[in-house]
Amino acid sequence: MDTQIEEVDTSVAVLSLTGISKSYSGVAALTDVSFDVLPGEVHALLGENGAGKSTLMNVASGTVQPDDGSIRVNGEQIDSLSPALAARLGIAIVHQHPAVLPDMSILENLQLALPASVFQGKGPIDEYATSLIRESGLTAHVGDRVDSLSVAQKHLLEITKALALDPKVLVLDEPTAPLGQDSVDLLFGRVREAVARGTAVVYITHRMAEVRQLADRVTVLRDGKLRGVAEVDEVTDDELLTMIVGRQMESTFPPKYTAADGDEINLVLDGISGDGFVDVSAAVKRGEILGIAGVVGNGQSELLRGIAGLDSFTGRIVVGGTEMTSSQLLEEAAYLPADRHTEGLMMSLTVRENAAVAALKRFKRWALVSNKLEVDTVGATLDSLEVKAASMDSVVSSLSGGNQQKVVMARALLSQPSIVVADEPTQGVDVGARLEIYRILREVSASGIPVVVASSDAKELEGLCDQVVVMSRGNAVGTLLGDDITETRIVQSAVTSTAHTANVQLASERVARSTPFRRFIQGDYAPSALLVGVILVLGAFIFSQNVRYLSDFNIFSVLMLVSALGFIALGQTISLLIGGIDLSVGPLAGFLVVVGSFFVNDDKPLGVVGLGILLMFVLAIATGLINGSLIRFGKFTAIAATLTLYIALQGLSFLLRDSPGGYIAAGYTAVLTTRVGPVPVIFIVLIAFTVVLELLLRKRKWGWRLRATGSDEEAARRVGVNIDRTVVFAYMATSALAFCGALVLMTQIGVGDPAQGVSYTLSSITAVVLGGTSLLGGRGTFVGSLLGSILLIQVLNATTFLGLTQMWQYIFQGVLILVAAVFYSVARRRRKTLV
Amino acid sequence: MSVTERQHTGLKSSRFTVSRGLITVGVAVVALFIVSAIVAPSSISQGAILGMLPFFAVLTCVGLGQMLVVQQGGIDLSIPGAVSLAIVVVSRIPNGDNSLLLPAVLLATGIAALAGVLNGVLVGLLKLNAIIATLGTNALLFAVVLGISGGSPTTTTRALRDIAGGLSFGVPNSVFFAVAALIVVSLMVKKTVPGRRFEAVGANPIAARATGLRVRTHQAAAYVWAQLLYCLAGILLAGITAQPTAFQGNSYLIPAVAVVVLGGTSLLGGRGYPLATVVAALFLSQLDQFVLAAGVPFAVRSIIQAAALAVGVGLYTINWAGIRARLGHRRRAATAT
Repeated sequence: MDTQIEEVDTSVAVLSLTGISKSYSGVAALTDVSFDVLPGEVHALLGENGAGKSTLMNVASGTVQPDDGSIRVNGEQIDSLSPALAARLGIAIVHQHPAVLPDMSILENLQLALPASVFQGKGPIDEYATSLIRESGLTAHVGDRVDSLSVAQKHLLEITKALALDPKVLVLDEPTAPLGQDSVDLLFGRVREAVARGTAVVYITHRMAEVRQLADRVTVLRDGKLRGVAEVDEVTDDELLTMIVGRQMESTFPPKYTAADGDEINLVLDGISGDGFVDVSAAVKRGEILGIAGVVGNGQSELLRGIAGLDSFTGRIVVGGTEMTSSQLLEEAAYLPADRHTEGLMMSLTVRENAAVAALKRFKRWALVSNKLEVDTVGATLDSLEVKAASMDSVVSSLSGGNQQKVVMARALLSQPSIVVADEPTQGVDVGARLEIYRILREVSASGIPVVVASSDAKELEGLCDQVVVMSRGNAVGTLLGDDITETRIVQSAVTSTAHTANVQLASERVARSTPFRRFIQGDYAPSALLVGVILVLGAFIFSQNVRYLSDFNIFSVLMLVSALGFIALGQTISLLIGGIDLSVGPLAGFLVVVGSFFVNDDKPLGVVGLGILLMFVLAIATGLINGSLIRFGKFTAIAATLTLYIALQGLSFLLRDSPGGYIAAGYTAVLTTRVGPVPVIFIVLIAFTVVLELLLRKRKWGWRLRATGSDEEAARRVGVNIDRTVVFAYMATSALAFCGALVLMTQIGVGDPAQGVSYTLSSITAVVLGGTSLLGGRGTFVGSLLGSILLIQVLNATTFLGLTQMWQYIFQGVLILVAAVFYSVARRRRKTLV
Repeated sequence: MSVTERQHTGLKSSRFTVSRGLITVGVAVVALFIVSAIVAPSSISQGAILGMLPFFAVLTCVGLGQMLVVQQGGIDLSIPGAVSLAIVVVSRIPNGDNSLLLPAVLLATGIAALAGVLNGVLVGLLKLNAIIATLGTNALLFAVVLGISGGSPTTTTRALRDIAGGLSFGVPNSVFFAVAALIVVSLMVKKTVPGRRFEAVGANPIAARATGLRVRTHQAAAYVWAQLLYCLAGILLAGITAQPTAFQGNSYLIPAVAVVVLGGTSLLGGRGYPLATVVAALFLSQLDQFVLAAGVPFAVRSIIQAAALAVGVGLYTINWAGIRARLGHRRRAATAT
């Protein structure tokens, strides 16, 4: 069929792509595609998976550089479009996977992603933000943590961010996929409003119904080539469908199943539902292959995981006459996941180990695995699948995609399964290997083991399957049999479906009951409130046992200890917030004291003392710089990097002084131990530091960037956070605070002792964890860390006043940290399931 | 290398493979001994080696335990408490009475298993962060240490000193225990069904779950095995040192992590390399001896350790091929102009 090319005056186009070509390692993703959007129109981009829609839009938003072709924005030729330039030119894109930070509130997400100018002159910031999210139909409170939102709500937040910029071109990539009917209507309303204001909208979709509802023009892509451009009013559904389907056959298929009398039904799915799919039924005869069709992300993968026993389901699954539960299926089914790299293979293990892992019991001789038996059996299977590798002991990651998939299949076959479940078995597999994979699946099926294959490639299902269930938004929208299994029929069922996400979990539009109290309990400050309570109760109890507990002397000495630990804990908090950890803080503090002991002495002039303190600061910053650089640029894990510094700093301390020496100046100690009543001034400084850091963390981009990095590095990068700089800076800040701690420590140790300070690493981690900061990153408070330091020191101090032995110090510490960890982790988990 | 020939014309499998970590630390150890011989010959005298080997044996056991945990993507900070507790139990409880040694060893093993189960439940089943959980366990273990010993050192029982501290065929007995530990760990991980599964879980827990393996159980089991190895280390240490203190285990946490990393096991989890870990333990132990004999300040040891660690990790993490390619490219560009 001829491609229809509309003649449109492209001189007025806001965005105009001409002759775009792009290929990835020799495979063409786009070939000579032209596309333009006019102001005030909705231009739909239609096509199957892999047609090149997303690549084209990545070119338009600057994330992909085309090999050939030109880009014009507002009529001006752009030589090289970067994401930043695209944003400045007013091109906003809403990705299928929202770039939102789960541990931050809605308001903070908006503030981090949007330039400050958006909020200027708009009145109180949270009121304006509330009005923004309401316009997109997001009913949550702006103080709610994004973590507590449903998938659909996160999408609405992503759309809010795009619309708030008032873009000239708005690209929506499958925006309705996770949304329920109400939200879809609201979204369409918002799109129409934006269009009325002159915004050009590119709307990527698989669904013809949405094209009809919303779009003015439609462009169809297939196999990376332009198939046609049409006015929506002037084209019929059949014409569109013809443009979408008709891909070139890339592969041949083994002959299909031919009915034989003796073949009984050996797989029954009876109304099974689960997280992401509802009410799927099918009955398959021995020798038939069941296909699951649909556009990617419409519940096929979830359905397959259910059949494989990996996720729970309701309904009945009968395999070869016996009904199986989830746990039986987990044992009996062989599952070939779509994502070979993360779920299919142990990439660092060898071909043999990967293939054998599910069948090890077969190779057992006495207590041990027989090498000969294993090599023979696994080798025979690998040979029969014609796996090509240097040897059986090659690391599996060195194989091509097709051979990797065959290794997964070898594992499946070796495990002697009752049923084989394959999700996108030929994704990323070259043409030659595809045919072999089809052949293997056919053979497995013919041997009487039921085979279920999900694929977003309708052509593949047409060639391979004897029965096809078409899924859309989690619903089975059609079952095709025999000659009805054609690409056209499959695509038609999928694209003409108007089913909305009927599934409870997918649609979860339920609004969390968001009350101030609930937000507080879910918020970062709940642990702090709890700690205050514990500190007060414990203090009252000790005081009731021993009146001297609240003597000026004890208050003073406890607060001095808190000050040293507190500064270091504040530093540790920063490292944990970005999802890292700094083991070197303790030795660093000790090392700095040793350095200081050479300068801060009674007989040294004031200038030398000042110089010494400056040197300490410089050394601290250098340590942080090395930590951060090793992690970001040397790709060390945080533990490995800071452990290296831990050992090195300890060594340096001993190098400078092999035994304690160098008395700290009495004048210095006097200054640092100045007090107001029983309270040391340095403790007041610590509180001031805590408050300032806390404000920075909550109200300034610096703090948001830290938390964003720890919360979700990839999403943070996409909203424009410079991860390298943030992380290196964070470790430098950690070290700078360890320097502050060292200043206090100098007065306590009073001498340059190379053995001191090390214990502060573990106590600082303990204090921070008590304060409710998550070791996973993204979540925590400085206030909590300060309170955690107070509680820790208080507990250690308590034993003296209660007349307990040192043993109790350890018991208290151990119980405290474990109870806090279990408590916070359980509380966080419950929060997720509640909402 | 022996090659198992099969009738098929297909893929072959060699019996033995040598990991990159093993080559690296192997070369490092050889180099260290050569340097020792040249710079400080007294560090490879018979006396020095005999003095070094028992501590190498202890580090081996501790390192192997930590390796099992690290292999599962965890980390175990309870080593100080675990080692100290084993020492205190086997030296304090018999208190010189040889007949009480065996019950004490059994008790120590039992406590170690309990501590391992606690860590395993907290990390493997409750999914707590390994750092926090093992930190808490460590404090509890030290509480027991102080509860039993009151913090004061005890003289080792004679029988234990003979068994763990003695010599057989001119080799310290502790070395035999360490070699036995190495063989058992290697055999278990490489040659038994649960061990092979354990390795697969470490390499990729998500894929292991998709193949139907019991991921959490394997992750929890790592901590139990680790504790038993720490316990062995503690018992050996109690026999080697005449008067072990209640905090003897403190000095083993950092070296234990260091040998695992030097041996090439990634702190992110994955395959564990028992033999390379043991060779790395030999490297660090001889490094101590060398520094001692060379008469350089003891602090130099730490700095060399840190450097070795940085180089060791850098070898695995930094994309050298990429850097070489980029440098080569630049050089080519430079010659072209």
